[in-house]
Amino acid sequence: MTFLLEAKGMTKRFGGLVAVNNVSFGVGAKEILSVIGPNGAGKSTLFKLISSFLRPTAGEVLFRGERISDLAPHIAARKGVVRTFQETTVFRNMSVRDNVIIAHHLRSKASLLGYFFATRQAKEDEAAFGRSADEILGFLGLESIAGETARNLPHGHLRGLGIAIGLATDPAVLLLDEPFAGMNHDETMKAVAMVRKLRERGLTILLVEHDMQAVMKISDRIVVLNFGQKIAEGTPSEIQRNDKVIEAYLGIEDEAIGL
Amino acid sequence: MEQVVANGLYLGAQYALVALGLTLIFGLMNVLNFAHGQMYVLGGFITYAVYGQLGLPFVVAVIASGITLAIIGGFMERFLFRTVIRRSHREESTMLLAAATAFFFDAVILLIFGEKQRGVPKIVKGVFNDFGIILPYDRILVGLLAGAIILGFILFMKYTKPGRAMRALAQDRMAAQLMGVEVNRYTMIGFALGAMLAGFVGGLLATITGINSGIGGPISIKAFMMIMIGGAGVVSGAIAGGFILGMMESVGLTVLRQYGDVTYLVIFAALMVFLSIRPNGLMGKPWG
Amino acid sequence: MSISRRIIAVTAFLILVFAVIPILIAVSGRKDFYYTLSSVALLSMASAGVWLTFHIGRINIGQGAYALMGGYVSAILVMSYGVSFWWTLPLAGLFCALASILIGLPILRLRGVYFAMVTLVLTEVARLLALALPVTQGAKGITSIPVEVFGLTLVPDFTMMENPRIAFYYLSVALMTACFALMHRLVNSRIGHICMSLQQNEELASSIGINIAQIRVIAYAISSFLGGLAGAVFVAATQSVYPSSFTVADSINFMLNCFLGGLGYVFGPMLGTLVLYFGWNLLFETGRFQLLIYSALMIALMLVLPNGLLSLGTLRKER
Repeated sequence: MTFLLEAKGMTKRFGGLVAVNNVSFGVGAKEILSVIGPNGAGKSTLFKLISSFLRPTAGEVLFRGERISDLAPHIAARKGVVRTFQETTVFRNMSVRDNVIIAHHLRSKASLLGYFFATRQAKEDEAAFGRSADEILGFLGLESIAGETARNLPHGHLRGLGIAIGLATDPAVLLLDEPFAGMNHDETMKAVAMVRKLRERGLTILLVEHDMQAVMKISDRIVVLNFGQKIAEGTPSEIQRNDKVIEAYLGIEDEAIGL
Repeated sequence: MEQVVANGLYLGAQYALVALGLTLIFGLMNVLNFAHGQMYVLGGFITYAVYGQLGLPFVVAVIASGITLAIIGGFMERFLFRTVIRRSHREESTMLLAAATAFFFDAVILLIFGEKQRGVPKIVKGVFNDFGIILPYDRILVGLLAGAIILGFILFMKYTKPGRAMRALAQDRMAAQLMGVEVNRYTMIGFALGAMLAGFVGGLLATITGINSGIGGPISIKAFMMIMIGGAGVVSGAIAGGFILGMMESVGLTVLRQYGDVTYLVIFAALMVFLSIRPNGLMGKPWG
Repeated sequence: MSISRRIIAVTAFLILVFAVIPILIAVSGRKDFYYTLSSVALLSMASAGVWLTFHIGRINIGQGAYALMGGYVSAILVMSYGVSFWWTLPLAGLFCALASILIGLPILRLRGVYFAMVTLVLTEVARLLALALPVTQGAKGITSIPVEVFGLTLVPDFTMMENPRIAFYYLSVALMTACFALMHRLVNSRIGHICMSLQQNEELASSIGINIAQIRVIAYAISSFLGGLAGAVFVAATQSVYPSSFTVADSINFMLNCFLGGLGYVFGPMLGTLVLYFGWNLLFETGRFQLLIYSALMIALMLVLPNGLLSLGTLRKER
C-alpha cells in the first residue's frame, strides 16, 4: 500500500527528554486515521512534527513521497498538508466570513502587487474567494454566523470556524488537533458526522484525539502512543482487543484513582 | 580586575532593584511602564527633601520614598491603567498612557524640584581600600541595602499570601481568577510594590550619585534593557539582567574608557544580536 | 463610503492643503506656519510607517533611526557626491528599506515588548553610530546643505527664506498625500488583510500558507522607506543634520502619534501628528506649565478615548 502521508522513524528530544521515539505510520488517500494515547504520551508533539511546526530530531515526514519535515509551515501548507488548531486560535477581530476569505491565500493567482493595483486577476480572485467562503460556511452549517466577529463566538462555533479556515486552504491532508475536546455527547456526534463529510469531499484526515468513543466511531485505523512510542496500530476493533492498549489505558486509570 | 567586579556588583544590585519593579508590573499586567525611571527620580527627590533638607535620618527618608511611590503606584493602577485596559481594543494602548504618565511626572518633578543636580550629605564617610579594591563605604552600604531589599522581595513573593497570589496572576491570569485570586486587588498591590521598589532605589542612590530631574528617561531605557536580557516578567531574569548590565557597564567603561560612548554602542549592538538569537531573553516567557 | 462621497472628501482635502491653507497663511501673515505644517506632514509620513508595523502586530519605536539614516544619506549624497536633491529622496528611502531588511530579518522574529525594546535600542544605536562614524562628521553634524527646490538652487540665504519655505510646504504636503493614498490602498487591499492576520495570530497565518517572515519584512521595509524619505526631506528643509536630529524622543513620538490617532485607522497617524504637534506648540504660551498640561491632557484623552481620536466616530454610531 502506498501512503499519501507517511511518518518514518519520527523522534523528538527536548533536552534529555524523549517526547516522541521512533514512531512510524502512514495515512492512505481518503483515509481517516487517529492518533490516540493517554495524557503525556507525546500526541501533540507528534502532531506538531507532522504539521512542520516542530523539526524532528530524527526521522522524516513524507508527503506524496517527498520529504516535508524541514519546511516552514507555510510551505508544507502550500504542498497540501494543513493543520487546524484548538479552538481559540482564530483571527479574533475579523468576521467569520473574513476569517475564511483570508484563509484562501494559497489559492491566489494574483501577486501581492496585483492585489495592490487591483488587477483583473486580483478582482477575480477576490470574487472567487468570497463565493468559496460562502460555500464552505454553508457546507459546515455556519452561514448564519458569517457576519459575527470571531471573538464573540461560542466555543462550538469556534471549532467549526477552525475547520472552515482549514478547508479554505484546499488541503489534500487535513490534520485536526483534538477536534472533540471538551464536547458533550451530542456535540461530539455532530462533530463526528462533520468529519465524515470532510472525507466525502475527498480529504484525507489525520486527527489527534483523547476521546476514545469518538475515535472508535470515526476512524478507519488507529495508532496508539504511550510514553512517546507506538504501541499498537490497527482498525478500531483490533485496537479495542489489544492487550497493550488496554494495559496502557488501565494503567493510567489506576493512577488516576490512586491505586 | 577586582575593582571592576566590585563596581559591577554594586551597580548590578541597584540595577536589579530597578528591573525587579519593572518586571513585576509587566508580569502582572503586560504593561511596559515607561514611567519607571521617573518613579525612581521621584523617589530620589523625596529622599533629598526628607534627609537632605529636613535632616531626618536616612532610613526614614528611604522608607518615605518607598511608601510615597507605593501610594502613587496604587493610584496609577486603579484610576489610569485599569480603565484603559478595560476599554481599549488593543493591549498596546497602555504604552501611550505609560508614556504620558512619564511626561507628567517629568513635568511635576521639574516644577517642584527644578532642574539642578541635587546632592545630599554622605551617610558614612571613609573609603574601603584592600584586596586591590577601592570602594567608598557609603557605596558598600547602599549595595548591601539594595541586596537586602532584593532578598526581602524574593522572600515576600515566595512565602506570603499576596506574593503567591501575584505569582499565580503573572503565570496565568485566567486560571488565577478561577482559583479565586482577587485579580484587581493583587494587580493594584503589585503595581504599588513595583513603584515602591523604584522609590527605594531612587532614595538609596540619591546619596551616591545625587539626583537630577532629567535622568528618568535614560533610567527607564536601562531598566528595559535589563528585563530584555533576563526575560520580561520573570523575577530571576530581572535580577540576572540587572547584574549582567551592571557588569557589562563596569567592564566596558574600564576597557573602552578612551572611546567614551562606544561602550554603549557595543552594549546595545550586543543586546540586539543576543535577542535575535534568544528572542525571550535568558529566562523569559514568550509574549504577544 | 460610496465612491462619489469619497471623491468629494479627497477633493476637499486637496483643496484644503494646496489652496485654502496657503491662502489663509498669506492673509494672516503667519509665514511660520509653512514650516510647522511641513513638519507635521513629514512627521506624519514617518508615523504612517510606524502605523504599518503596528498593523502587523509589532510595536515599532525605531523609526527615529531610519529618519536619521535617511537624513544622513541625503546629506552625504548631496555634499560629498553632488547628487541632485531630488535623486537623494528615493535613494535615502531605498537605503533605509534595504537596511531595514537586513536588520529586520533577525529582529522581526521578536514579538511584543522585545521587539519594541530592540527598536528603541536601534534608535540609540543610530545616534551613537552617527557620533562615531567619520562619514557623518560626529557631533558637528553636516550643515549648510545646499538645496534645490523646483529647479532653484539655494545656498543658505536669508533673503530668500520665504521662497524655500513655501516650496517645502508644497513638497511635504504632496509627499504626505501620496503616502497616505498608497497606505489607504494598501490597507484596504488584500495585503492589508494579510497584515491584519499576522497581527491577530502569526501561527494560524502561517498554517494557512502565508509566508509570515516575508510579509513582516515587506511591511517593515515600507515603514522604514517612509521614515527615511521623511528624514531626508526634513534634513533638506533645515539644511542640516546632527546625531540628535532624530532621537529616542522622536521615535516615541512617532509611536504616540499612531496611538493618539487610533491604531485601527489608516489616517490615525496624520491626525495624531497634527494634534500632538500643534497641541505642544499651542501650549507654549503656558510657559513652564507646558509639559504638565500637555501630559495631563494626553492622560485624560487616553481615559476618554483609549482607541484613539478617530474612534470618536464609531463611538457615536454605537450609541
